[in-house]
Amino acid sequence: MQVDAGILTIIILLVTLVVSLLATAVARIRRQSIVLRHHPAYAAMPLLVSESLEADRTLHFSFGSVIPSGTTTPLMVAAAEVFTLLATRAAVGAQTPLLTMSEVSALPLAYDVLRRAYRLRGRTDQFRNTAVQWYPDGPRSLAFAAALTAAISDEKVSANIFMGSFGPELALIMDAAHRRGQGAIAASDQLEGQAVAYALSDEELIGEEMFAGGAYLGGSAAQVGGVVALDMLRVLLIAGLLLMVADRLTGGVYLSALLRGGG
Amino acid sequence: MRRLLAILASVITIGVGLVTIYDLTIGDGALAAAFLRLAAATLALMIAAGVINLIIVHVGRILRLRRGWVYSLVLLISAFATVGFWLAGQTDATNLLLNSVQVPVESALAGLLFFALVYGAYRLLHKRFTWAGLLFVIVLLILLVGALPLEQFAPARQIRDWVLSVPVSAGARGILFGIALATIVTGVRVLVGQDRSYRE
Repeated sequence: MQVDAGILTIIILLVTLVVSLLATAVARIRRQSIVLRHHPAYAAMPLLVSESLEADRTLHFSFGSVIPSGTTTPLMVAAAEVFTLLATRAAVGAQTPLLTMSEVSALPLAYDVLRRAYRLRGRTDQFRNTAVQWYPDGPRSLAFAAALTAAISDEKVSANIFMGSFGPELALIMDAAHRRGQGAIAASDQLEGQAVAYALSDEELIGEEMFAGGAYLGGSAAQVGGVVALDMLRVLLIAGLLLMVADRLTGGVYLSALLRGGG
Repeated sequence: MRRLLAILASVITIGVGLVTIYDLTIGDGALAAAFLRLAAATLALMIAAGVINLIIVHVGRILRLRRGWVYSLVLLISAFATVGFWLAGQTDATNLLLNSVQVPVESALAGLLFFALVYGAYRLLHKRFTWAGLLFVIVLLILLVGALPLEQFAPARQIRDWVLSVPVSAGARGILFGIALATIVTGVRVLVGQDRSYRE
């Protein structure tokens, strides 16, 4: 990595760290004053859990093709947090939630998500090992989509929550879910998958909203602080972009000269 | 004991994360590369766990004669046959299985994808009317019409090119910016031990 890029990375990380710590501190001190806006997708998720419990059917979560060793790792952490919180609610029922993925390296985390949910409920003996299912994917993940269309039927699923990395093949899975009358909420870090999710999801969940699940479903100060930090950084990013636009419009007289070290 | 393990996991995660960042930004990257190789080797071992998971899930389904057990049987036979052919050095047979079974089936599914996407557009307006939904469907139609290789649709092609290069590109970058920002925040939360992914 070039020295300039390295320094820029450190600055970004330091700014993020300071903003995150400040936001968490504020969230701890004034938790009641921070009100998260209503989010239909996160409001619908607990209802899907309740419906699955009442109907004695299975709730299906899927990571898609996120991997724990790459740029999708934080997304996987965020998705795991959401799945843990929802699985903990679902763990009081007779049916173990189903957790699927197409990337084998996600398997240990998937087991941990469900096992932790049952441990938190004190029902570890009810945990079913076969509730975590890996479906190896082929090119374009179509094999994974085909496997899931069968699995959501065979496992008597009541609702699906897809959060992770999915391509356009998500359309096949969600189409199958709708034909069986199952609820479905989806979000993907891939743009093609996100477009499909927007069109076919019961409620929309777009982009960075995937990372706010912990704050909406858990609500601890650290989780809410993360969302507040994200909002603050978003404002900083917009300000930076506007600065760059202004700099471009003025012919790079001010900002570019400053970055070059000139007067 | 569990609490001690959680603290140990936190210390290892934070320590390795900080060393990797230092090495990638200021150092020569050798240590970070070594960590990544170690992670890659560990993850490669997961293939064995995946195969065991696959066998447990599908053998269980066959033994209990649960719904879809026939598919599980076909899956296991196919998997063992592929491994068997590979062990016997008959790569022609494994290629044949891939090219005459896997590829045609996936191609057929890719064809079905179009109809699922069109149904998605229909469903978007059917479930509830929103201006965003209407805009989504109109743009989708323009893109589909613009993709037709007919001279009569040349104006639609120009609109399509503009839509793809300006608003779609801007929107896509906006979404990716948001994801990148959230990724950094989540990464930092893991580094300072605020995340619950490796502790209770």
